[in-house]
Amino acid sequence: MEKAYLGVDIGSISTKGVVLDADNNILASDYLWTEGDPIGATKRLAKSLEKQLDSSKYQIVAAGTTGSARKLVGTMLGAVVVKNEITAHAVGTTTLYPDVRTIFEIGGQDSKIILIENGVVVDYAMNTLCAAGTGSFLSSQARRLGVEVEQFGEIALQSKNPAAIAARCTVFAESDLVHKAQIGYSKTDIIAGLCRAVVVNYLNNVGKGKKIVGPIVFQGGVSKNAGVRAAFEKETGLPVIVDPNGHLMGAFGVAILARRSGHEAPFNPDVADMEFVTRASNCGQCANNCERILVYRDGKLIDAWGNRCERGAIRVK
Amino acid sequence: MRIGIPRALYYYRYGVLWKTFFSALGCEVVVSPKTDRAILQQGTHYAIDESCLSAKIYLGHVAWLMDKCDYIFVPRIADMGRDKEFCLRFRAMPDVVYSTFREEGVRLVTCDIALREGKSEAKAFTELGKKLGFKKQQCFNAYLLAKQAEQKQEAENARKLDNALARSDLKVLICGHAYNIYDRYVGQPVLDAIHTNHALAIPADWVDRDAAWQAGCDLTDTMPWMVNRELAGAAVLLHDKVDGIVLLSSFSCGPDSMTDEILTRRLKNIPILTMTLDGQDATAGMETRIESFIDILHLRKDGTVCL
Repeated sequence: MEKAYLGVDIGSISTKGVVLDADNNILASDYLWTEGDPIGATKRLAKSLEKQLDSSKYQIVAAGTTGSARKLVGTMLGAVVVKNEITAHAVGTTTLYPDVRTIFEIGGQDSKIILIENGVVVDYAMNTLCAAGTGSFLSSQARRLGVEVEQFGEIALQSKNPAAIAARCTVFAESDLVHKAQIGYSKTDIIAGLCRAVVVNYLNNVGKGKKIVGPIVFQGGVSKNAGVRAAFEKETGLPVIVDPNGHLMGAFGVAILARRSGHEAPFNPDVADMEFVTRASNCGQCANNCERILVYRDGKLIDAWGNRCERGAIRVK
Repeated sequence: MRIGIPRALYYYRYGVLWKTFFSALGCEVVVSPKTDRAILQQGTHYAIDESCLSAKIYLGHVAWLMDKCDYIFVPRIADMGRDKEFCLRFRAMPDVVYSTFREEGVRLVTCDIALREGKSEAKAFTELGKKLGFKKQQCFNAYLLAKQAEQKQEAENARKLDNALARSDLKVLICGHAYNIYDRYVGQPVLDAIHTNHALAIPADWVDRDAAWQAGCDLTDTMPWMVNRELAGAAVLLHDKVDGIVLLSSFSCGPDSMTDEILTRRLKNIPILTMTLDGQDATAGMETRIESFIDILHLRKDGTVCL
């Protein structure tokens, strides 16, 4: 029996999973929509991965979870590692691209830059708690223009004269965009301008004062947008790599971390058939009234969190 | 006589001075409790929308004190000398509190510190005591006692800093106003998250105020605000002694936005995380940022993440 490692990345929009062998080769992988139900999505994912994996040859000995539902799903899967998606992505990318010097990452609400020298992270910056210039900004502008955000990249590449749009703040960008449309700019030029604005904003915000050296790997949901990628290449004057498996990078990274942790907790594939229920409960013992989440497996409480202080702690027997 | 002090803004800088002063005069001091959701909601209710989070919290604490004391102490500190100015929101606070709570019959006492207008701290506190009916000499003695207590606190901070720097843990300088760092609803979750991730948080106010201010002058000679100059200076003094810096500020703080900008531009070879908080109830986003930041500091230091 060979050892295998499971990595699951449960974001608000999509759920990704990979199973790796000890040499980081992908044995199974899947990508599906979370649809507001991380527990259900994880069950579907577990079933799909199980089907792909040769169970006579491999056994999953450790699982890791990442993404915004990492804690809930980590409890569910008995994960040995529960890590934030940023670290998981950094580990995944540096494993796949050992020479990488710069990682650009733009997700739905986050954007960050990671600088690497000799495989070691040397500097790093992240957007503040404002989502201007990230994926959600592009999505909301797409709605305004009546275009699917998935088509943004292709449309942008057709533009010869991108409109100059300020993207420092979503509110200003929106009024700028309306103004450009009203004075007669074509939709193509406006969309190209938006892609360029995201890049300029990114480089002036998280990229400010950072020395950007190639190879550059661009990841996160927005990396699928060819217009943004092209704008990055134009602004930096360097080629920008977008990995076709880029969407699996978080799951890949956390599977590696699960292996590196040295801890083993054999994964129970029956998880897909167990019943997981979560319940919210307000503490009510002080004015904070923290909302706690209780997780039950087949009717038995297995974990709880959400309290800001000890008074609200719920003991798991 | 019961004097109420809001546990907000510069209470976290001058609280020891204020409490000792009033106690030495024989007053009973009531400090509002640590910020909770109810206090924040009250503050948001009373404050104008454009106000910064910290000033909103201040008004919430004033509201809590309304029926629990004879006077609420709302000092005005304009400046402590040249390039030692205080934020306008703080300078305006006695007027803001008075006009906000006038109809509810607020009784407040204030003092006026403005060295550039010849109003020293000693003078201001003597005047304050006299307004409350105490004798001039009695007031001055109380002020001297309060000053001693303040110096003791500063010595204590210096010791905490030395101890922290001597440890081998991963160290993170928290560069932010004390009223944000120590507020239970603003900075405390950030400190907790740093602790949970096995790193040591070093608040900027552990650095000697004068030394920090002086170091701040080397970085910029145009910044008017005293405390922000100290924050910038603390970052300059400690940036090669810590593993990372968190720039912690409350939303829409003008002085912090300028200081954060200077620091991110000027300090090299040290990871900096900028965090702007606006009373978000969900701490998940903050926790993710802190966790990933500390992972990266570990990667940078030891080449591996802490699992």
